[in-house]
Amino acid sequence: MTTDAIQLDTETLERERRELERSWSSRPGLLGWLSDTDHKSVGKRYIVTALVFFLLGGIEAALMRIQLARPENALLDPDRYNQIFTMHGTTMMFLFAVPILTAAGLYLVPLMIGTRNIAFPRLNLYGYYVYLIGGCLLYAGLLVNQAPDAGWFSYVPLAGPEYSLGKRIDIYAQTVTFTEISALITSVEIIVTVFKQRAPGMSLNRMPLFVWAQLVTGFMVMFAMPWVAVATQFLAADRLVDTRLFDPSAGGEPLLWQHLFWFFGHPEVYIIFVPALGFISSIVETFARRPIFGYPVMVLSLVITGFLSFGLWVHHMFVTGIPQLSESFFSAMSMMIAIPTGVQIFCWIATLWAGRPRFRVPLLFALGFVVVFIIGGFTGVMVASVPYDIQVHDTYFVVAHLHYVLLGGAVFPLFGAFYFWWPKVTGRMLSERLGRWHFWLFVIGVNLTFFPMHQLGLAGMPRRIYTYLPETGWGTLNLVATIGAMTIAASVAVFLVNLMWSLSEGAPAGDDPWEAPTLEWATTSPPPPYNFHLCPTVQGRSPLWQRPADQPVVSGLRTDMREILVTTMLDAEPDSRMRLPEPSVWPLIAAIATGVTFIVLIFTPWGLPLGAVLLTGAFVGWGWPRGKDQRLQRSEERRR
Amino acid sequence: MTAPVRALDASRLPTTVFDHRSHMWWGTLGFMLIEGTTLFVCVASYYYLRVNVTDWPPEPAALPSLFWPTLHVAVLLLSLVPVALADRAARRLDLAGLRRWFVVASLFALSFLYLRWKDFESLNVRWDANAYGSIAWMTAGFHGTILMLQVVETVIFTGFLFSGDFDERHFSDATDSAFYWYFFVGSWIPLYLTLYLSPRL
Amino acid sequence: MIQFPGAHSAHDPAGPQAVLVHRLGDLLYAIATVVFVLVVTALLIALFRRRAGEAVDDPARERGMATVVAIAAGATVATLVAVLLLSFGTGRRLTATPPPGALQIRVTGHQWWWEAEYRDASPDRWATTANEIHVPVGRPVTLELQAGDVIHSFWVPNLGVKRDMIPGQATSIWFQADRPGVYRGQCAEFCGPQHAKMGFLVVAEPQAQFAAWLERQRDSARTPADSLTRRGREVFLASSCAMCHTVGGTPAGGRLGPNLTHVAGRRTIAAGTLPNVRGHLAGWIIDPQQIKPGAHMPASAIEPDDLRAILAYLESLR
Repeated sequence: MTTDAIQLDTETLERERRELERSWSSRPGLLGWLSDTDHKSVGKRYIVTALVFFLLGGIEAALMRIQLARPENALLDPDRYNQIFTMHGTTMMFLFAVPILTAAGLYLVPLMIGTRNIAFPRLNLYGYYVYLIGGCLLYAGLLVNQAPDAGWFSYVPLAGPEYSLGKRIDIYAQTVTFTEISALITSVEIIVTVFKQRAPGMSLNRMPLFVWAQLVTGFMVMFAMPWVAVATQFLAADRLVDTRLFDPSAGGEPLLWQHLFWFFGHPEVYIIFVPALGFISSIVETFARRPIFGYPVMVLSLVITGFLSFGLWVHHMFVTGIPQLSESFFSAMSMMIAIPTGVQIFCWIATLWAGRPRFRVPLLFALGFVVVFIIGGFTGVMVASVPYDIQVHDTYFVVAHLHYVLLGGAVFPLFGAFYFWWPKVTGRMLSERLGRWHFWLFVIGVNLTFFPMHQLGLAGMPRRIYTYLPETGWGTLNLVATIGAMTIAASVAVFLVNLMWSLSEGAPAGDDPWEAPTLEWATTSPPPPYNFHLCPTVQGRSPLWQRPADQPVVSGLRTDMREILVTTMLDAEPDSRMRLPEPSVWPLIAAIATGVTFIVLIFTPWGLPLGAVLLTGAFVGWGWPRGKDQRLQRSEERRR
Repeated sequence: MTAPVRALDASRLPTTVFDHRSHMWWGTLGFMLIEGTTLFVCVASYYYLRVNVTDWPPEPAALPSLFWPTLHVAVLLLSLVPVALADRAARRLDLAGLRRWFVVASLFALSFLYLRWKDFESLNVRWDANAYGSIAWMTAGFHGTILMLQVVETVIFTGFLFSGDFDERHFSDATDSAFYWYFFVGSWIPLYLTLYLSPRL
Repeated sequence: MIQFPGAHSAHDPAGPQAVLVHRLGDLLYAIATVVFVLVVTALLIALFRRRAGEAVDDPARERGMATVVAIAAGATVATLVAVLLLSFGTGRRLTATPPPGALQIRVTGHQWWWEAEYRDASPDRWATTANEIHVPVGRPVTLELQAGDVIHSFWVPNLGVKRDMIPGQATSIWFQADRPGVYRGQCAEFCGPQHAKMGFLVVAEPQAQFAAWLERQRDSARTPADSLTRRGREVFLASSCAMCHTVGGTPAGGRLGPNLTHVAGRRTIAAGTLPNVRGHLAGWIIDPQQIKPGAHMPASAIEPDDLRAILAYLESLR
């Protein structure tokens, strides 16, 4: 990498800054907002939308907990309860967890690797709109009493044409289609951005662990999501056009659904977990004030976790009568996946041990993650044991386990990430004091809600029941769990108050309030649309802690158009320049075309030809270069 | 005036690049991995449904016919020739050659529509007759959507080649299109073997 | 308040399978607790240890940490392998084929009740009952499980058995009750609106009592002894009841609902939901939707006199 010493006078810098501002800003007005392809803007939209779904899913949980607080309670009749618990699972898994955790990547990865935008900006915006349409579809269903009611896992034959009437399950199937398209797009974005747009000098072994986590997640999404895409289209086809894929009387197999769904479903929870592991590494290294101990081992652990997660799915089927050899293999794999995660935890503890910890709120949530998640990890090892699983499968023991690992493993890190990166995104600090209230209410609430459920499962309480008889004796622990749920609600309320307070009263954050090592802290808070005026280069894993005074910057990129530097995959050597497209309203049009296609498919197979026409029109309009693009390209050619 | 800063000059880096140096190549590869996984899931489901059954195709379904599907495979393989030639032309920045071979490719693509129709007919079973029919139609159907995508993309790209909006950076898109064509043909082979030959085993 | 029968807990093992799983569970809890304490202690030490005067970068310390992490990783692997072997060992003992002489019962799961068939060499000695399965103490029982509509799951915590019933495939499990008792089970796979109230009882009784019970189940329905009961039978056969329910020895041969030939001998009605007493039975007949909304049994517009007669008839079906 050859560099020159150049003079940057203030006048040139100012002119460049103004040109960058003009080239990279979104257009004004409503049309500008709808066509804004800045990855930070799209990332924020995903995060805000996902938070709304989190609150909706939380309300659904609260309703369930109130209904179950006493035996034979009459708040929700069984039909409504079944819709609510299905909505809770579907919302949390498809509309909240995966979108928000991967959107954190959409926002932060380009900043952390020193580039100006994500790889395919318009596709990114399209992916958001498709996600939004999917979520709206599901809740429109709820409003007209057509919310799916067979669980987020939607087993056949219950969810099939014979036993689920109406359009409830069809709405479910197509909601999944939308969210899965969106997730796949996000995964391609992250992978290509990470492979091709890293700052010069950021070879793969110098990438932040956060970026590694997002990269691994991207690959997991790519190989897991198609399984549920196919499964839901099979289900939709059985319901719409009388295919017999799951109909045992015609050679179909109910268990085929389970295999297809869980082949996706198990990696899905690791797709939720792995980005959170990235959050923890960023937080721990910043608040321990030293790089994470054991970087190569940490990377290997992330990769191994990603691979192993594809080899566990049959543990959801241990009581279906599968062959014993199969049971033994999946039992072993399900226990072994604890090893890479355990190693990561040991490395974080070592990092804290050798560092100088500062107890700010993000670190509190990281510590909460460790304690709560490992409880879930232990019950995970228990349910991985086939004989033990025979007793606890499909009981509240599993409800306890899954919430400990999801809340511990994803939501604690997510809250920590909020406190950590909110200053970067908004330019304001969140309140430490409210943060501590949030944290302690959340820790207490989570344990109060879910710890009793281990006992409830062993005492005979199955999952997915709208009520239970008083004679079972399950009332007391259920009441405790409901009180815990209210505590969680209180903690989330404190969190929301904190967010709103910060926007008006929060202290200005400055570029780097935490003295953190990664590149996102090398620009303003919030960052300008072009991320960095002078794109950085790096020479180590902790750029801001190790940066020598003469660390080179990148110059020579066009400022009058959206141009980025493209580097090589392994060593991030500068390779070419690429022009990113202008903002466009076509992603919205294409998303609407996609929405119409799949929504019509809920009702008739003619959605397919209709969709073909609409989507062709939309994507031709999107892809055909025109107007301003042309003028800019020609002006570049003349320049040469 | 500020102090001198060390800078890496990117201004002389090229803007037209091919294959793994280009974003679109990676996007195309990503799409292939996703679609490929989807097709794998269909094939896996096909064999899963078959494993517990002795009668495959189950009575009264007849074996699938071989003539048209095999002809289709032959035409697909033949189509690789103009596409490969188009790819070479693109890398030479030869617009005339590119146009010529894409027109040929478009004709092939349009023929695939008819041939795919015959593929479905040759299954000799309705999609709603039984699980065998259903999985065969779904598998051919998923690949059929890739086929539709391929036909539309090829025809429109051919039109684009003749429009005034084509310029140098789009040569790379042509090679990515060829890349995807290889996938589209290659992915059909295992599906053809599964749907038309494996029931005979 | 009538006391509801039945224990329903994995903590109170009443058979060898449940005992094995319970012991395994205790061991797993113990290991988990120890590891939890170790990890949290390490975390607290890491956070709060005194660091005065330490160098920031210390290669020797880094090497030391690497050793500790490696040892911890090794201990993790060893612990997991031990747990896996324990689990395999328990699993093997659970799935060993039952000793000879097992009693065979076929259980079919329906939305939202359980059908149990005790077969025999000669078909006229088959007994069909619902929602209450009697077994002899100390003798292995093999259940052949099927699904009548959607996926259900047969689960009795005290006996440590659970198996999904999947349409299109039969599966079988075995268990043994080592002490007499009434053990409650519940469907453990979401199967629709009344999944919550799809319970059943397993009544384990000494061999002699069990044999007597089974003999009674094989008989046809008792002939009515008085006029009210006779009238009840007439009303039953003339109304829609007979379309869904079977009463052995009468024209009522419906297969959509539970077999009622000996319904009065059962402890509960509506699949383990209510005690089998007149008041509940009346309420259930008049409007099942009040008790199990969504159940497939419709409400009956029935005259009070007819209701009294039917109740008398059903109560006579011991």
